[in-house]
Order: sequence, then structure tokens, then C-alpha cells
Amino acid sequence: MSRTRRTLRWAAAATAVALTATGCNLVGSGEDDSGNDDASGENVTITVALVPDPPGASEFYRAQFDQFEEDNPGITVEVLENPSDQQLNAVELMFQQGDPPDVFRAQADGFDRMYERGWVHSLEEFVTDEFIDRFPEGTMNPSTSGLHRDGELYTLPLVSGKWDVRVLVYNETVLSENGYDAPPETWGELEEMARTITANGGGSVFGYAPTSGKAGAVEILAQTATPYSVVQDGIDFSTGQPATASPGMVEAVELHRRMQADGVMVPGWESWDGARAFTEFAAGTMAMYPTAPWHIAEIRKLNPEIEMGIAPLPVPDDGRVAFTPTKQSFQPIWSMSSETEHPEEAWAVMDFLASEDFNRAYYEQFGSFTAIESAWEDQARENEDQAAILSAAEETMRVVPNPMLLSEGGGELLRARAQRPELKHTDAAVDAIINNKPFLPIAQALDQQIQAFLDETLAELSGTATIEDITFPDWDPLENYTPEQ
Amino acid sequence: MASLLAPARRPRAAGRPRAARWRRHAWSYAFLIPGILLFGGFSLWPLIASWWYAFFDWDGVGAPSNWIGFDNFREVLGSGAFWDAFWHSFLFSFAALVIELPLALVLAILLNNAWLRGRNVYRLALFLPVVTTTAVIGIVFAILLDPIRGVVNTALTDLGLVGSAVNFLGDTTTALPTLIGIDVWKGFGITLIYWLAALQTIPKDIHEAALIDGANSRQSLRFVVLPMLVPLAIVILLLVFQRSLNTFDLVQATTQGGPNYATDVVPTYIYRFAFDPFLQAPRYGFACAAGAVFGLMTLLITLLQAPLLRGRYKAGAT
Repeated sequence: MSRTRRTLRWAAAATAVALTATGCNLVGSGEDDSGNDDASGENVTITVALVPDPPGASEFYRAQFDQFEEDNPGITVEVLENPSDQQLNAVELMFQQGDPPDVFRAQADGFDRMYERGWVHSLEEFVTDEFIDRFPEGTMNPSTSGLHRDGELYTLPLVSGKWDVRVLVYNETVLSENGYDAPPETWGELEEMARTITANGGGSVFGYAPTSGKAGAVEILAQTATPYSVVQDGIDFSTGQPATASPGMVEAVELHRRMQADGVMVPGWESWDGARAFTEFAAGTMAMYPTAPWHIAEIRKLNPEIEMGIAPLPVPDDGRVAFTPTKQSFQPIWSMSSETEHPEEAWAVMDFLASEDFNRAYYEQFGSFTAIESAWEDQARENEDQAAILSAAEETMRVVPNPMLLSEGGGELLRARAQRPELKHTDAAVDAIINNKPFLPIAQALDQQIQAFLDETLAELSGTATIEDITFPDWDPLENYTPEQ
Repeated sequence: MASLLAPARRPRAAGRPRAARWRRHAWSYAFLIPGILLFGGFSLWPLIASWWYAFFDWDGVGAPSNWIGFDNFREVLGSGAFWDAFWHSFLFSFAALVIELPLALVLAILLNNAWLRGRNVYRLALFLPVVTTTAVIGIVFAILLDPIRGVVNTALTDLGLVGSAVNFLGDTTTALPTLIGIDVWKGFGITLIYWLAALQTIPKDIHEAALIDGANSRQSLRFVVLPMLVPLAIVILLLVFQRSLNTFDLVQATTQGGPNYATDVVPTYIYRFAFDPFLQAPRYGFACAAGAVFGLMTLLITLLQAPLLRGRYKAGAT
């Protein structure tokens, strides 16, 4: 092979590598295509990262955005879907790679994760009085909305705060067959009814199940027996002291431990995921369980004929100690990227997501109480299931102090606490229930660890946070809390 | 004879300039480049980077900056949950080595017989679980093993083998053995293929020579086949050991490490700290440290087997 031919082959190979490496640019325009032709006044593409949840959400969102595109000819909405448990990581990765979505779904604590990293665009410049007026009166107060940070609106909701209610669902037929004409009102009644139904069930019908393998039912029932902050963080916000070993919390675990030890609960619940409880209930396997309200629509979809009742949660035998918390008016859901190149168009999409039409369509599709109550309230009152949920929400929810919103120090402390999941009762409670261990000594040990954590963290945060930031001595868990208290 | 058939060695290019040798092998090096780039980018770099990240308190966002030395390693080594998960991972491997490996060999010897009718069908049936998506397997087994309506429990109770339904995946005492059983079943096909490939490297001539020399089938297996399998068996053993030690998808799809972490393995432990959406911020640095410790322990266990394996290898090779 001559030197010239060899040289030519090398040149050809080098060219091929170079062409491959730059292939994307050659195939595309060679320019950033994320913004399309905004400058020329043509179409703008807005990417929306969301989760295809609940079932059917993919088709629903696409249909809604198709409608939006028809009404807004200059904007195309590109949907990016991620599984619920991977959404945050996926969006974070997109930010790190320099290609974030324009609008993304980040729920609850996930929003704060994004906010703390400076990835969220303030919405203050877009908000109008008309926009605020869409939401129930008082719910957009910056100190209690749950959507504001440092007094500015940063995120928009999807569902109403009333959707945070927890209820007891029960199978009326099963209860009636076992001689009960009403759901339990106390934990004692719940246990007695569950035992009877399981004993009569012949191994195919059981009285009760604890919602999921993480024993979510303990948390739900404990909301009636101890201040919400004990359930959430192991700290009583009325005293600022660790309180996992408080009587209500301990009894919530012990109730389940007794029923587990005696085989009262549906076997196999220990490995259930979040969807299994409503599937089993719809199949008639169990008579009752405490749950979030979205299960109810899923049960109806699976078994439209089921005779299902919805009741407020049963309370401890000695009486109610606390209510289901309303920590804020709304949960954060929709946020705009701080790096979007098209804030106006991104806001148009967000405005649509917070419109009465979208809220009504979402409610009609999934049965969830959306943030704009006027979109669904009348219909909900006429629907037996939804009227029961609304009634339970009005009866069993109370506004509580939320240190995350009330002070910077409170936020710092609770964020630090969230970094120590082992201090929460969840794993210890499951261990006690499954392995039949008394919970009180476990809870007392947890309280010691929480106290050590508080001492250590307060020392680290000296000057920015004090125990007073998470202490509200005037707060009565049986009454609505107002920030002025 | 063998030496006569061996290709003649080319005279060493003594004194040839280095540049000429480079030119001579230039294409070989050029073809190596993509492989080296891919290996470097997707194997070597992540490995080195994860070790580096393990020394930081890092949530995965931006460049790691909070250097904490060996704190993450100390936390991992002092974590009871990590060692529980490690023990569970080890049990997966142990079961694969003492159950899956010999059982697959027995079946491979059977299926390697030319007189066995329909052997390809059997091979296919045994290999099917390998190519079935683990998530599907997880769902199917959860249904089969359900304590209320599962076919397995119905059969067991109807036959009177158990008094009441067995809570296979929900009981802390049965969940891990159940998952190990499913893992052995799922991995069985690939181990079988390894053994079949190894068996097919043994020349027929040697079998025939053994038979002519008067050996029966059992003697042929004992004194001819098995010794010749030893060098490949060592490779198969290491492959099975590594695969089973890294079981993740099956656990994640069926129990997510529950109930109460009874089936937690090191990969699910790492996953929890790196990606759990319920953590306020992921602990990538800590997860990297757990991965590094796990990698080191795996290496150590592999090396511990080395003297024994080397002896067996030499014995088999001679």
C-alpha cells in the first residue's frame, strides 16, 4: 500500500469520526432547538415533566394539552413522563445536564428540594387578582398557602387541601353480615369488629388491614391520638419535646400489634405496595381500612357495585386528642424552571393547569378534589362518596402550626430532621407489629435519639434556629391554629 | 504431532524501528479505541468517580465540595442495616453456589446426551425464566404465593401439607428464602447454558477412548468429564457468584427489601440512600461509600476463594 493511499485512508477515517461526533448538529439545525423559533414569532415548545399518575393520567394530560395548543396556536407542549418515584431524580438530572423542563411537577418536600437549589422561577410577576380569586378565599395567603417562599409565589397546586383528609372506608355488606350496622367510632370498636369479622371470615374475608407494608395505618389513626408533629417528626410542637412514646402513638402501634399477633389482619399486608389495599378491598377481602381519599375512586373503578361506606377515622377510646392536620392550604405541584427561556409561554401553560376548566376536567376524570373548589364542589355534594369525603374533611381537619412556613429556623430544623429518617417511628413500628415487640421501650429509645439530635442540631444552627421555632405552647391540637397565636 | 501442526513462529522483528511497528499495528489500535473509550467512560470512570464521591457529603447536585474524609465509610461500616443487607446478599450467592450450580450441572449433563429426545425443548423451557422480565416474574410470583388466593397456598392447604396459608413474602422468616428460591429458579437457565457450553468443549474422541478402555458412563463422568470441566467450572462459579451477589431487580420488584428489611440486599440498600424520593435530599456520597465497601468485600470474598480455585484449576488442567 502506497504512502499516499494510507494517508488518504487515515484522512477518510478521521473525517468519519469527526462527522459522527458532530452528527447531531449536522442532522439538526446546529443551533439550540429548545426554544424553536421564538425570535421569529413562530412556534415555542414548552416541556412539561410530570408523572403518569393516577392510571390514565398520560392520556388525560395529552388530551388537555392538545386542547391548550388549539387555544394557544403559538405554543406546543411536549410532555416528559417519569415514574412517580423517579420524577425528582429525573428532573434534577435534567437540570444538571443543562436541559431542564420549562414546567415540572415537584410535590411537597420535593418542591423545597428544587427551591433550595434555585431551580424554581418566582411567579409573582405573572400573578393577577383574577388568578388569586380563582382559589378559595384566604387560601393564597403567603404565610399559609404552602405555595409561597419568602413571601413570593413559587408553585401552583393541583388538589385542594381538603384532599389531605384521611377516612375509614368500610364494606357495608361485610359489616352487615357480621351484625354491624355502622362503622366503628373508636379504636376499641374497630378492634372488636375486626376480630369478629376475621373469625367469621373463614380465611377469605378479614376485618382489617393496615393500608400498606409501611404500616401507613398507624400514622393515619395516630392523627386522632397525638399532635400531628409527633406522627410526622416525633416531636410535639406544643412542647418542643420528643414524644414518640406518647400514649396515643404507642397505642396506635399496639392496636396493630395485637391484631397482627392474633391473625386478625389480612395476611401478606407486610409486603403490600400502595395500590394493594384498594385492590383487596375492592375484591371483598377486607371489611375496612383507613386511607387517603384517592383510594375511593380506585375502589369504585375496580368494583362499581361494592357497597362501600366512608366514615371519619375512629378515635381512641378515651376520646380524640388531635385532628388530621391542615399544615397549609395546598401542596406544591407545578413549578416553573428558573432556567426557562420562555417564561411567558411557560406561565401560559401553568395558568392553564390552574384554570377552572382544567381543574374541572381533572376532577371529572379522577374524582380528586382539585385546588379550585368552584370547579367541582356542586358536583361533589351530589356524589355520595365524595360528599362523605367532604363531610369528613370538614369535620376532622384542623389548621396546625407549620414551622416550615412560619420561620427560617423552623424550616432549618425540620429539614435537618428529614435527613435523619431513622429517627422516625415508621420502621420501628413495623418491626414491633410484625415481630410482636412492645413498642413503648422502642419509642422511648427513639425519643432519646431525637433529643440528642435536637441538642446537636440546635448547637450547629446556633444563631439561626432555636427550639422556640418549633414550639407553640398556646397551640391546642383540638382547635384551628392561627399564625398570630 | 501437536508440535508439528503448530504454526511456525515468525522471527522476531529485532531491531525494527518502533515507528514501523506502530504503523504495522495501527489498524489494530484504531479498532481498540471505541472499546477503550466505552470501557473508560462507562466502567472505569464511574468506578473511580464513585470512590471519589464517597469522600464527600454530597446530594448529587453540582460538584461535590463538602469533603468529609472517611466519615461515610465509618458510617457504612458501623451500620447494622448495611451488614444485614450484606448478609442477605451473601445468602443469595451462597444459595446460587450450593444449589443452583450443582443442580444445573446435573441437568446439563442430562441435556447434553444426544439420545435424549426433545432436549432442545427442555433447554428452552429452562432458559425461559432468564429472558423473562424480572418485574413480570415478581408480579407473577406475588400472585402465585398470595396467602389468600394464591395457587400455591391453595394447593398446599388442599393437600393438607400446611394447616394454614403460608405468608411467603410477608413473613420475615419466609420472605428471604422465598426470594432466594425465585432467584435460583430465574438464574438456573443461564447457569445451565454455561455448563452446556463447557460440556461441549470436551472432545467426543476422549469419551470414545474412555469407552474403548472399558469405562462405563459413571466412570467416564467421574474420571474424564468432571476433571476436564474444572477450569471452566471455576469461571462459571465466579460468574454465578457475581451475578447472584448483585441481585437487585427481583427484590425491588417483589418486596422492596421488606417486610421490615428482611429481604434488604446491598443493592437495594444503596438504591434507598441514592434515590429514595422520601429522603429530603439523596445521600449520593454515602451510597457511593456503601457501594465501594460492597465492592471491596466482594473482591475480598473472591480472593479468598482464589487459593482453593487455583489448586482445583491446576488439578483439572493436568
